[in-house]
This record gives sequence, C-alpha cells and structure tokens, in this order.
Amino acid sequence: MSTRWYPIYQRGNPQLRVFLPNFWMKLVKNEGKQQSNKVTFHCSMEMTKHDIKNYLEKIYNVPVAEVRTRIAMGRFRKDIGQGYVVKDDDVKFAYVTLPKDMKFEFPNIFEKKKGDSDDDMKSLDEAKKSFKNYIERNKDRSDVPSWFSI
Amino acid sequence: MNFSLFRNVLKNVAAITYKSNNTFNVRGVTQVTKNIHITCKHYDLMEFFDEKKNWNETNIRVGRAWKLDELRIKSNTDLHKLWYVLLKERNMLYTMEHECNEKVRLFPNPERIDKVQESMDNIETVIKERNIAYYKLETGETGERPVEDVVNLLGLSEKYQKQEYHLPKFMNSRWVRSYFEHGYINSFAVKKFYRLYREKLHNEERKARNRDFNHVQQLLKRFPDMDMEKLKAEYPNVDIEKAKRSKKARGHFMPKY
Repeated sequence: MSTRWYPIYQRGNPQLRVFLPNFWMKLVKNEGKQQSNKVTFHCSMEMTKHDIKNYLEKIYNVPVAEVRTRIAMGRFRKDIGQGYVVKDDDVKFAYVTLPKDMKFEFPNIFEKKKGDSDDDMKSLDEAKKSFKNYIERNKDRSDVPSWFSI
Repeated sequence: MNFSLFRNVLKNVAAITYKSNNTFNVRGVTQVTKNIHITCKHYDLMEFFDEKKNWNETNIRVGRAWKLDELRIKSNTDLHKLWYVLLKERNMLYTMEHECNEKVRLFPNPERIDKVQESMDNIETVIKERNIAYYKLETGETGERPVEDVVNLLGLSEKYQKQEYHLPKFMNSRWVRSYFEHGYINSFAVKKFYRLYREKLHNEERKARNRDFNHVQQLLKRFPDMDMEKLKAEYPNVDIEKAKRSKKARGHFMPKY
C-alpha cells in the first residue's frame, strides 16, 4: 500500500486488499520437541491469524491447517556499563500447523562440510597473504610509514 | 491478485540487480540473457533459508540496491512482482540473521538487509509518485492522507494525520469534553506543563544567545582585523559594537578601535 493504513471496514464495502504488504515473517526453531508438522515464526506485530495464513498460502504457497499466535513481552534489562533500564522489543510468535501429511525439519545451517578448512586458519592465511602483498608493494620505499599509502 | 504470476517472475525484466554474485555472473553483455535468474522455482518453507551453498560462507557478495530511476521505467506489474521478490529476500535474511544470532555466529554481510530495504523504500516512493499523479489528473487532489494543524491536549500545535472514525466528530461527546472550559486542556496540570515547557524553550534561547555573544567576543579578541560585515552576517543576533567594547574582546595589545 502506498498509504500505509487500513480504511475502516463498513458493512457492504468491498473486501480490503493489500497490494504491497510490508509484513515480515521469520522462521525460527521450535521451542522444545514438537510434532514434525509444526512450525514457529516470528512476525510483524500487526499481523492477525488470517494475515499469517494468507501470507503463507499466497506468497509462499504453503498450505496451513491452523495458526495460533502469542505476543511475548521483551525483557527488561540493565544496560551494561550505563546501568539504565532497557526494554527489548516485543515479539509476536506464530505457531503454524501444516497439514498432517506435511513435514518440516529445521535445517542445520552451520554443519561443517567435509574437507572444509577451519575458519581461523582461513583468516590467518588471508592475513598472511595481505601482509606479503603489502611488503611486496612497498619494497622500494621501506622508510615510508604503513599508514601513508592508500 | 494473481499470485501464480510470480512463478515466472521477472522473465522480461532486466536482470535482478539484487542477487548474490555466486549465482549471477555477468561476464559480457551478450551473456546476460543466458544467466538471468528466475526466482521462485520452488515454493516451500525452505524459501525462508538461503541457498545451501551459502550456509557456511563467511562472505556473501551481492550487488547494489535498486535505484529510483531504474524503478521509474518499470511497469506497475513488474514493480508488484519485484516487491514480492524483495519481501521474500528480506524474510530470508531476517531468518538467517536470527539463526546466526542463536548460534552465536557472525551474520555474513548484514548490509544485504539494508539494500533490500532501500529497494523496497524506493519502490514505495515510485508507487506513491504514480498514485499522486493519477489522483491529481483525475480529482485535482493528491490523494494522500490529509494533514491538519491542530492543538493537542497539552496545548501544543501538532500536525495531525487525519484518519477514519466510527463515530463522527460532532457526536463524540467524550472526546470534545476535554476541550471544554473545565476540560483537561484548561486544567492545572496542563497549564503547569505549558509554563515549564515555555521556560525550557526560553532557557535554550537564552543560552544560545549568550553562547553566540561569547563566541563573537573571543573571535574579536583573536582576530581584531576581521571582516565585520561577514561577522554580522554570521551572527545576526549579536550586538557587535557591544561585544567590541567588552573586556573579553580586548586582546593583550593596544586596542585598535
């Protein structure tokens, strides 16, 4: 919507349509053990259950059996160092049930692949290489300080 | 809204600018058509995650955001499709960012989110421009949400964006009550607030005045041969003659004026 507010719905009006929704959803891991057709999302605070259902069905083409939502209040904590109280943002959880025959397993994103060298070693190699390059570039002007060149 | 259109999103639209370099290699102009990326091959919950080969990457290079001028030459349909591409991309990035935070990893290239957001903002700007142009042509008004200057409950003037209410204004006796003679707007609390607020504004103004005056004095002390006209133009509220006469403006030398 180029104007981001809903007109009030009066009986008999045409159905409200959103052409450019700015809702966001993010898929998060289930808390604890769950059935394989349950998926947890965080979503925009203003989304209703119907919105969530339509969003998944129309945009992602994922059939949805049921949606439950709750709003979790953000934690109050003391700022480290300053000591004043900070409140984290509230989060809207959406617990979506897929149809019985569908399964979703949260992928293990940071699984190590075989033959993958360690990240630390990689960065160390890169640092070594860049230092070598730097020495190579400044061979003929050893008296110039390091911060001088671009 | 026909969502099945998104299956062949952007086939004819110029190559998606926002696409990871790993998948999109433009080597020459002739090859562009070959390497066009068609989004949404699969509809799945896995669309919330990045491509599998990017999962363990520490550096994911992407292009720039869509610019306004590029979006202005696109049709409404294309913009509509692109919006959903970007929306999905943003959801994906949010999901990955959240997962990275959970696993205490660094989220690679977080500026991707900003780029997507910028593109979306630009699309919205373009749509708004078109909407305004259409409304001006058809009705003579912008079609934007009307804004009005009102006095709010604290007695301060405020820009109020009009909105729809179930109850008309003249029937809303509860709302109008606070604007009556003995209503909230004339209460002791509001008056006290307004007094203190004005005091605050006054103090700010006074401090600014003193600061400028002192600064001009110091300037006169350090640069007695300064261009006075320029000084006057820079600090129009300061009485320069008075500043010259003051003790602070005198340097450690014989006065020239």
